[in-house]
Amino acid sequence: MAAVIAFEDVSVAYGGRDGLRDVTLEVAAGELCVLVGPSGAGKSTLLRLVNRLVAPSAGVVRVRGEDIARNDPIRLRRSIGYAIQSVGLFPHRTVGENIATVPRLLGWPEPRIAARIPELLALLRLDADLAARYPHTLSGGQAQRVGLARALAADPDLLLMDEPFGAADPILRRALRAELRRIHAVTGKTILLVTHDAEEALELATRVVVLRDGRVLAAGAPLELIRAADPFVRDLLGGDAPALRRLGLVTVAAAMAATAAPAGAPVIAPGASLSDALSLMLETRAEVLAVGEDGRTLGSLGLPGLLRAVPMPAPA
Amino acid sequence: MRGAIGTLALGCGFALLSLAPVAAVLFAALGGETRAFGSGALLDLALAHLRLAGLGALAGIALGVALGLLVTRADGGDWRRPVDALAAAAQATPPMVVVALALPAFGFGDLPTVLALVLYTLMPVLRGTVAAIEAVAPDARAAAVAIGLTPWQVLCRVDLPLAWPLLLPALRVAVMLAVATTAVGALAGAATLGTPIILGLQNRNDLYIFQGAAATAAIAFLADGALLMLKRDGLRRNRRKV
Repeated sequence: MAAVIAFEDVSVAYGGRDGLRDVTLEVAAGELCVLVGPSGAGKSTLLRLVNRLVAPSAGVVRVRGEDIARNDPIRLRRSIGYAIQSVGLFPHRTVGENIATVPRLLGWPEPRIAARIPELLALLRLDADLAARYPHTLSGGQAQRVGLARALAADPDLLLMDEPFGAADPILRRALRAELRRIHAVTGKTILLVTHDAEEALELATRVVVLRDGRVLAAGAPLELIRAADPFVRDLLGGDAPALRRLGLVTVAAAMAATAAPAGAPVIAPGASLSDALSLMLETRAEVLAVGEDGRTLGSLGLPGLLRAVPMPAPA
Repeated sequence: MRGAIGTLALGCGFALLSLAPVAAVLFAALGGETRAFGSGALLDLALAHLRLAGLGALAGIALGVALGLLVTRADGGDWRRPVDALAAAAQATPPMVVVALALPAFGFGDLPTVLALVLYTLMPVLRGTVAAIEAVAPDARAAAVAIGLTPWQVLCRVDLPLAWPLLLPALRVAVMLAVATTAVGALAGAATLGTPIILGLQNRNDLYIFQGAAATAAIAFLADGALLMLKRDGLRRNRRKV
C-alpha cells in the first residue's frame, strides 16, 4: 500500500530535547500508527513535521507522495485533521461553528456544512442539540469529542493526534480509546497518534513506533514489539507484567477451540481479550470458558489453549 | 448595557451644568460670578473639541494597537521592550510640553494638539493590546494555526475577538485621556473647551472655567458611554476558559 506519510532521513535540530536524528519512517494508508516514548523523545516533533508546524533541518517529509516543503502549508494543514490534548476549541464560537471551521475555510457550500455538523455529532455520539452551545458549557469528555469532530469535519484522509486523551480521566480515556478504534474501523482513515502511555499505544495501534532521544528505536505490530530484543522497548511496552500485556492484545476468538464447553461454564464474548478471559477464570475458578455471543455458543477456551495462544520467548 | 446608560446619563448631566443659564443660576446662588460663556459658542467649541479628541484618540489607538499586535507576533518579541520604553517615555512627557515643543515645528492650531494626544494615549493602548493578546488562550491559537488558518485569519478570527473584552477597557482609558487632554490644545491656539478655561483664568472668571470643565467632562462621559455600548453580551463569554 502507498505510504501516506514518509519521513526520509529527517532531522530536527533543537538544543537537546525533542530533536530528531535521521528518522526514516513510512505510514501506510489506513494504518493507526502510534508514536510512543518517554517525554522529550521527539514524538510530538515528528507529528508536527507532517503539517509543517515544525520544519526539518535536514531530510524530506512527504505527505501523499509530495514533498511538503514545496507546497503551500495552509492548504496542507486544511487537508489534515488535527486534534491535541488541550483540544483548543474556539471559546467565542459555538460547537457547530467550531466543527464547521475547516469546511468553511475550504469554501464548502452552507447546506453541505449544515448537513455535516449533525453527521459528525452523531459519529462522535454527541447530542445534536450541542451544536448551538458554547465550549465552556461542555464537559471535558464532550469537549474532547467535539475537538475530534472538528478534526474530522472536512473528511481528511489523514488525522494527526497529539496526546488526544491526555487531559481525560482514566474512565473517560478508555471510552475515548474505544471510540477512536471504532472511528478508525468505520472510516479507514490513516491516523498518526502520539502518546506517552504504552498501554494506550498497544491498545490502539495497528503499528507502534518507539522513539527515544530523537531516534526510532523500533517499529512494528504491537504483538511483535512487546517481545522485541531491545530491553528499553521491552520495558517500555511490557511494563511490570509483559505477559499480561500480551494477553491483552489477543482476542478470545483467536485462541478458542471449536469444542463445546462443559455445561454451566462461564460465558465470554469472542471479542474480549485473553486477559479478560484469564481474569474471568480466576474469578469463577473455571478452567474452561464457553465462548458465545447473543445467546449463541461458538466454542470454548481452556487454560491450556490460552497459554498456547501466547508463546513467550524462551527464558534466558 | 446598564453601565453604559449610567455613564451616558452622567455625561448629559455635565452637559446641562455647562450651559450658560444653568451654570449662571448655580453660581449666582453661591454668590459668585454671573457673566456666563454663551451656550452657542460653547457648543461650537465642544464640537471642535470632540473632533480633535476623536482624531487624536483614533490615531493613538491605531498606532498603539498596531504596535501591540506587532510586538506580540511570534517574530516580533525583540521589539517589545524598546517599543514599550518609547511609549512610556511619551506618556511621561506632559502634554503641555509636547504642545509647546511642537509649536515651532507645526505652528499654531490643531496639529500640535493631535501630536500630544497620540503620544499621550499610546502607552495605555499599547500595554492594553499586549496584555489582551497575551490573555488569548494559547491552545485556541495553536489549534487555529494547525488546522490551516492564515496568519491574518488567526488575527481577525481568533486573536482580536478573544482579546476584545480586555482591549476595550484600554481603549476607554485612551479616549478619556484624549478628551481631557485636548483642553491643553487651547494653549496652541486650537479651538477646544480649553478656550473658556484659559479665558476664565485670564479674566478671573470662575464661571468660564467651570463651564469649560463641565463641558469637557460631559464629552468624556458621553464618549465613554458610547464605547461601553460596544461591550456586547456575547463577548462576555470569552473570559471563561474552555
